[in-house]
Amino acid sequence: MITMVVLDVIGLSFAALKERRLRSGLTVLMVIIGVALMTSINGLGGGMNNYISEQLGTLGANVLVITPSANLFQHGPEQQSGMQTKLTAQSVRTIERIHGVKYAVPYFSGSVTLRSGGSERTVAVLGLDQSKLVYIAPKASLESGSFVSTGDSSGIVLGYGVVHPSNLDRPFAETGQTVFVEFSKVETQGGIEKIVTKRKAFQVRGTLSELGSQQIDSQVFISLAAANALFEKTGSYDGIYGITSSSDDNDKVEANITKFYGKNIGVMSPKSMVSTIEELMGTFMSFLSAIAAVSMFVGAVGIITTLYTSVMERTREIGLLKAIGYTRETVLLMFLTESFTIGLLGGLLGLAFGVAGAYALIGMISGMMGEGGSMAIVPSFVATDLVEVFLLACALSVVAGLYPAWRASTLSPITALKKE
Amino acid sequence: MTDQGDGFAIQTYDLKKTYAMGLVTVYALRGIDLRIRHGEMVSIVGPSGSGKSTLLNMLGALDSPTSGRILIDGADVTRLSDRALSRFRNKKIGFVFQSYNLIDRSKVAKNVELPAIVAGMPKKTRNRRIHELLDLVGLGDKASRRPNALSGGEQQRVAIARALINDPAFILADEPTGNLDSKTGEEIQNLLLRVNEEKKATIVIVTHNLELAERTGRILHLRDGIVEKERAGLHSQDQVRDPDLDTVTIGGT
Repeated sequence: MITMVVLDVIGLSFAALKERRLRSGLTVLMVIIGVALMTSINGLGGGMNNYISEQLGTLGANVLVITPSANLFQHGPEQQSGMQTKLTAQSVRTIERIHGVKYAVPYFSGSVTLRSGGSERTVAVLGLDQSKLVYIAPKASLESGSFVSTGDSSGIVLGYGVVHPSNLDRPFAETGQTVFVEFSKVETQGGIEKIVTKRKAFQVRGTLSELGSQQIDSQVFISLAAANALFEKTGSYDGIYGITSSSDDNDKVEANITKFYGKNIGVMSPKSMVSTIEELMGTFMSFLSAIAAVSMFVGAVGIITTLYTSVMERTREIGLLKAIGYTRETVLLMFLTESFTIGLLGGLLGLAFGVAGAYALIGMISGMMGEGGSMAIVPSFVATDLVEVFLLACALSVVAGLYPAWRASTLSPITALKKE
Repeated sequence: MTDQGDGFAIQTYDLKKTYAMGLVTVYALRGIDLRIRHGEMVSIVGPSGSGKSTLLNMLGALDSPTSGRILIDGADVTRLSDRALSRFRNKKIGFVFQSYNLIDRSKVAKNVELPAIVAGMPKKTRNRRIHELLDLVGLGDKASRRPNALSGGEQQRVAIARALINDPAFILADEPTGNLDSKTGEEIQNLLLRVNEEKKATIVIVTHNLELAERTGRILHLRDGIVEKERAGLHSQDQVRDPDLDTVTIGGT
């Protein structure tokens, strides 16, 4: 019987909400915005974290990337700041002798245009001793053919993404085929700057299986000597991969290298890079979440305002209900039902819009990055997080409804009925 | 004076009510002693500010007196908790207001149903009673209309049906014809008289309408918070009784 009464009272609350459709709707919208923001930010953050660990996680945990400049993102020939360490064959030997270092694998890198048949694409080239590739990216394996040997100056191995680009329905190139590499650089001759393009034929020795990391999948690999010649590096490496005996030694080795070379050398371990970036991302995401949380509180204030206005407008009605025998508790229940309904609707719709919004945002970001921006970020939603946000919306709405509902429940029937 | 019911429906003892309005104390009721028998129909008349509505609110357990006691069916309502009062009003009292106080968003049937919901009446019984009562007040065909689509007289009939849904022992009406033209007012009078007759409900009406007052069993004249005079109406339960005799037992201390 009690449940029946409760159901009927809830029915009365729905009717009251429906009567003020527009206002109730707008209040629900406020809750939706808060919940949707929270949901999509959670989803985006999760997706980005997954992406980062996927991208950098393909490198072995016991790999240190040693670069000529302390700032990993500013090395290369365009950086002429002089605060750099020249990495040479001597450096390789030095680093290899540091306790805890198993191998030191020097590399050259650059960007080239690759032509095969009628198509062309811009790819990153990594020149290194390919027998050591397995230490750097432990999951890397050949899909076909073989690696390029140390002495091979015209062999090339293509990453999975290079062979199978999304805009081609056939492989870009196959093992055994000849491809052309074009490298352009700016030369100054007699004060005049001009672009010089070098063109060289390479034979595809092999192709790599898919790794899931864009960094490696979209690269091509040649021998160290071939890269030295192509990019005219004259033996000054772009970086050295330091393979440590165990990832536990990374910090110690890093400290030793820094001690030996001073501050003008960059040492980074992918693992610490991941945690650094994730930390940064985490801070940023907490900031966004805080904004989303504020908007949820604004939604709660919206509920208070809406319900309070409703209580004021319905003073007579409340007076009548109390006169005909509705108890304080019943009136309280009626108004709490109204606020809870707003929270419930806002929460459910907010989750739906939040999930959709996260995908839409990723789409927008990818769109802004242009046709090449095949950003493989997929929003990641954790079920417990979604439930938490939803429960938070429901709880906040009930709390927001408390004051107006209490005001309604304590109205005296006579004063309420007298009011015109 | 005994506390016991002695068969009276309503008894009040030295009922007083004072309000503080700013710095002024208003003496709304200054000692009312009433005896109303079961099934009686009593009207309370008097000028504005005489305390009529205040008295009615007390009898309806909507307001509590500053001092004095009210026994309804022998129970002292001045001692009941808020929750018990709600229950009491719900089961025992049907209210009819001057301005009807219907909920416009709800259909006529829902308005009539409201008191029955919290009374815990089963849905089936509720529906049956709604139809019976709407037939009684002559609105059998308007159950699914909205109140604001009805005339004033029709709205007051809905309010009367609502007052009757829980089969209360008392009907308290505050200016039930106050917002109606004389012809419609008369229809409502007839309806209330019928309810008194058929349902044996005790009815107390506060009114300015002397014609309506004359048709009830007893007329109480209130002035300045006391019963100034009292006389039998056309509908008196015991015509043989000398009206002056009642006046002796009723009045200020």
